[in-house]
Amino acid sequence: MAARTRSNSAGRATPLLALGACALALLPLFHPPLFFESFLYLIFFWITLATSWTILGGFSGYVSFGHGAFYGIGVYAMANLGKPLTFGPALLLAGLLAAATGVAIGAVTFRIRRLRGELFALLTLSLAIIISTIVLNTPIDGGPGVMVNIAIPHVYEQQSSTLYLIGLCVAFGSIMVARAVQLGTLGRGLFAISDDEDVAEILGVPTFAYKLIAIGISSFLAGVMGGVHAIFVSYVTVGETFSISVPLYVLLMSILGGARHWLGPALGAIVITTISYSFVGGDSALIARAAIGLTLIVATIFLPQGIIGLLLRARITAPELPAPHASFAAAPKTPPYEPTDGPLLEAREITMSFRGLRALDGVSLTINKGEILGLVGPNGSGKSTLINVVTGFYKPTGGVLLHCGHDITGMSGHERARLGLARTFQIPRPFARQTVLDNIMVPALFGARHESRGDARDRAMEAIEFVGLQDRCDALPDELNLHQRKFLELARVLASGSRLVMLDEVLAGLTPREISEAIEMVRKIHACGTTILFVEHNMRAVLELSDRLIVLNQGHLVANGNPREVIADPVVVAAYLGADHAEN
Amino acid sequence: MSATLIGQSLLSGLMSGCLYALLGLGLTLTWKYLRIINLAHFALIFLAAYLTYEMSTRGWHPFLSALLLLPVFFMLGAAQQVLMSRYKVDEFASVIVTFGVTIIIESLIQYVWSADFIRVEKRLARGSLELGPWLAPWDQLIMCGFSIIACLLVWVVLKHTWHGKALRAQLDNPSIAAAFGVPNRKLSLALAGMGSAFAALGGVFIALLFTLTPSQIYSWFGVILATVLLGGLGSTFGALAAGMVIGVGESLTMALTAPAWAPIVPFTLLILILILWPERL
Amino acid sequence: MKTIGLKAGVTRRGALAAGAAMMASAAGVGRAAAQASGAPIRVGGTLALTGPLAQTGAIHKVVGEIFIEQENKAGGMLGRPIEWVLLDDQSKPDLARTLYERLLTVDKVDLLMGPYATANILSAMSVAQRFNKVLIHHTFGIPKLANYDRHFPAWPLGAEPEKTVTGNLFDALASTGKAPKSIAIVTSKFPSVQFLAAGARDVVKQRGIEEKLYLEFEFGNRDFGPIAARVREANADLLYVGAIGLEGSQLLEALDQLNYKPRNHYYVYPTPGPLASSPLGADAMAATAYEDLAPLNASTTAQEFSKLFRVAAQKAKLPYLEPDTQAATSYSAWQTLTGAVNATKSLDDKVLADYLKGNGADTIVGKFRFDGANNYGPDLMKVKQVQNGAWVIVWPKEQATPGKTIIVK
Repeated sequence: MAARTRSNSAGRATPLLALGACALALLPLFHPPLFFESFLYLIFFWITLATSWTILGGFSGYVSFGHGAFYGIGVYAMANLGKPLTFGPALLLAGLLAAATGVAIGAVTFRIRRLRGELFALLTLSLAIIISTIVLNTPIDGGPGVMVNIAIPHVYEQQSSTLYLIGLCVAFGSIMVARAVQLGTLGRGLFAISDDEDVAEILGVPTFAYKLIAIGISSFLAGVMGGVHAIFVSYVTVGETFSISVPLYVLLMSILGGARHWLGPALGAIVITTISYSFVGGDSALIARAAIGLTLIVATIFLPQGIIGLLLRARITAPELPAPHASFAAAPKTPPYEPTDGPLLEAREITMSFRGLRALDGVSLTINKGEILGLVGPNGSGKSTLINVVTGFYKPTGGVLLHCGHDITGMSGHERARLGLARTFQIPRPFARQTVLDNIMVPALFGARHESRGDARDRAMEAIEFVGLQDRCDALPDELNLHQRKFLELARVLASGSRLVMLDEVLAGLTPREISEAIEMVRKIHACGTTILFVEHNMRAVLELSDRLIVLNQGHLVANGNPREVIADPVVVAAYLGADHAEN
Repeated sequence: MSATLIGQSLLSGLMSGCLYALLGLGLTLTWKYLRIINLAHFALIFLAAYLTYEMSTRGWHPFLSALLLLPVFFMLGAAQQVLMSRYKVDEFASVIVTFGVTIIIESLIQYVWSADFIRVEKRLARGSLELGPWLAPWDQLIMCGFSIIACLLVWVVLKHTWHGKALRAQLDNPSIAAAFGVPNRKLSLALAGMGSAFAALGGVFIALLFTLTPSQIYSWFGVILATVLLGGLGSTFGALAAGMVIGVGESLTMALTAPAWAPIVPFTLLILILILWPERL
Repeated sequence: MKTIGLKAGVTRRGALAAGAAMMASAAGVGRAAAQASGAPIRVGGTLALTGPLAQTGAIHKVVGEIFIEQENKAGGMLGRPIEWVLLDDQSKPDLARTLYERLLTVDKVDLLMGPYATANILSAMSVAQRFNKVLIHHTFGIPKLANYDRHFPAWPLGAEPEKTVTGNLFDALASTGKAPKSIAIVTSKFPSVQFLAAGARDVVKQRGIEEKLYLEFEFGNRDFGPIAARVREANADLLYVGAIGLEGSQLLEALDQLNYKPRNHYYVYPTPGPLASSPLGADAMAATAYEDLAPLNASTTAQEFSKLFRVAAQKAKLPYLEPDTQAATSYSAWQTLTGAVNATKSLDDKVLADYLKGNGADTIVGKFRFDGANNYGPDLMKVKQVQNGAWVIVWPKEQATPGKTIIVK
């Protein structure tokens, strides 16, 4: 799996690639038949489109059917503006116009949680159709097509050789951009978004901004390539530019090559372009076409991770284990509190309604620094909703949330994560396509500590060792048992360096022995100076751990105080066992 | 702009909508319940259309062709599903595999029937039903009838039969459904078969209503994908309603402004719905 | 001799042998060698053999094969056999450009033949221009875009078809004394067609005809119902359809479903078969360069071409077997090429270009001249009309099918 080796996949490929690009750049000096340059140019063209697509579609999982629109904007920007502006500025503008369109679309759609998956695909498809209709019916084209006759800078003797060089630069640049994105913090964030966007946000990934950046880069590169291609084809028409085959082939190339790796789409583009543009014999055209179809089927079936998966397989069989860390089992240090006197977190009259149903009804509570606050309540009493409100997943219908005295009610999830609020999930929600180490890297990078990348790796390793998963660093979450996945959740909040950790039923589903281990783990986390909100059904554990206990029932806070006193409270008993028992 | 013109365009849009729904029916089912984005659906539609043409040149009535094509295509769809499940092709990869199938079928069509335009000369019915000043062509009305019946049928099967419920249960939780004795594999094959049987039915009407050329396979992608997604995956009446919204949007634009602007209305509408009421989809 | 394009890397000789064996049905290989000798003269070109333009690309392939077989039987060019290096541009202009570069720099062909359709021809033309090669092409629709001085069009539109083609039509209509007083123009946005329809608007205005409707629809439009409703409402004397392929037939059927029959109707580039065979197509008019009718088919070359085309078209499973504009201009392009080579006994592009500019070419479509603007000569297009289920030429009078005159209602 490509993602499995993600953290160490830069390797030797890059210098080789750069060397190759340099050699290709010098190719025209040897006067090869013009056809080769032209053919290579077409490969560069598809590499750029596929690679730029993957920065959004492959990395963040926002599959777009509208990539042709960004490319088309670039084509028509050059066709219309190339003459007045000259090549260089027009090319830049081609990219910027495409990027502006992409970012504008993103700014509207990325706010809407439902617009993921196929709905995003539909949206982008519709958008491409709309843009093509506008171009067709306005003076941008109007129908008869536009002749593109623009001088390009003089590098090589032949203009076509120079165009080849430009294509090469754009393609190589795109690959390098994709590489930088993937290996950088942005890539970590995008991969997390692709696996579980909601979790990514509450772990501190600024999902909205990252998606905007991704679509901006993606559409910019496509627009630039469109600008170059307008000159290559010299006569642009709407039918050709906005044909469905552009987004379709881009998707095919990316997936075939491996959409979750910066080099994958380029490989896919090379393979598909070479096959489909090589078999052009007049009498074998149909057979060649059918052969492409067969290649797609066979390659997909036998290379489920794309071509890049095949290339990386060797590394997977011998995973590079991270170096053991010196301070084994030493808990990560929590940063000192800000010098305020009040509680760490205060909720005032929080109300949360869903279509008239009140899940939380005027709940007020405080969480003090350094305590373990137990939270119990029957199923459906609002415990998980409360956590979701505190982490910012839900925006409360009413009430105020204060953190160290500051109002954080309107703050997004990732901003709260950076303040040091973290949670675990009752049913673990790891990033399914990332290794244990990569999973923990996300909160280490984006959480309260907001570490640099080198430090984040150390922090992640510490957290992994803390929960005892150091032997499973390169495992995928699917390969862990439930107990290990729960500990993975714990390692996440540890690595984030949060001050307040909300543990949502960490004990559920564990065996008695595992429960004891988990309780011990919670104690250790607390011992490092972390404040804990402990949500649990297991009363023994609650009583054993909690400094204070609060009880929720039907959205109301019904009790608050010393754990042993609280559970004796008739109201609490009634909540659990029904009113009759309480009266007796 | 007269009432006659607007009414006529409305009618024409509604009928287009029925066609969109009919063509999207199989696609929406397999997408929702099998997580297969079956691009080959479009190729199968055209394969069925060409076969209908071929049989019509031998004097077969289109309904007779349909009777033969439906079971044959059922087998084809099931066969493709065997391949898909045998190799555990996921949603993403299914796009490529089925696109590969599309290209192969397209080449086959061009090899057998050439790339030139082909038309079934025999109509189902000539003339139109007159509703005051408005006219509804009989052959399109028949198509609409089939489309609505097919949607109704699927809805009944999904909502009210054991197999339908089992299918929906399987979607929610395959392992639990299996534990309750829902035969995973057989159901999947049946559903995939049904999907392509609907492709065959759609193909018969494509042959009757349109001119055929192999590359037209691709010209339906946009509008049918939009219909299926706007209607909500797996929802038959949703597809019908979405098809009609798109069809009416297109035809009213054609009647009231320039026909070349036609695509902009339904797709702008679609985007607005997506952005303003995303929970509706 | 029939040749095939090859994928790069396979030697041409080996593949030729294999190709010859494979295509036994293509025949002519042995005979050609017997009559024309020496190294073949290689003519390179692409056609849209797959993709959205493949339906017409197929016609040009059939015609090229007929011509080359004929020519080689008759001794070839300069006594050498002709070899056609034909590649598939998949209907894509960017690929067409690349493949013409390949033809010139890898396959090293001697001469070029144009691809199918305007956009691809422009791509090929830019390559030809860089190499100063003569480019003869058969299907270029927008003359004003072609400004390379060694391109030679065989689709005989004249330099300003947007005026002359429509002008011809109105001359023909006016000759009956029943010229239409109003017109409805409906056109596809296919570039070369829209270009003619837009020009027709100006012609109509100049002649004082009332434009009751002007509509543009997207190429590939599926639903003609609403457009038909508007045409019916406009109810003009003449319906001018800027249609390519079957769009015209589709509109007619949509009109029929509304119980409306246009009084007079004209189509720009219709697929000829369905219009002629359908009862709805009665009296439909269109522009044409050639039909297998007297006096156009007077020459034996034309008659033999027509005969051979029917046989070959049937074998290629084309649904319409009558040779018309597409087939005849394709044949004319080949005639232009071989005519120039045989007359100058040269393969030099400058010599060929000078010859063509000075002398034009004699073809089955008529006498081509390339001495006007953008190397265009006179507009040779004629008006044809469906009468009794078949196309006949009705204008200009001297080329009209004997006994036929235009029917205007």
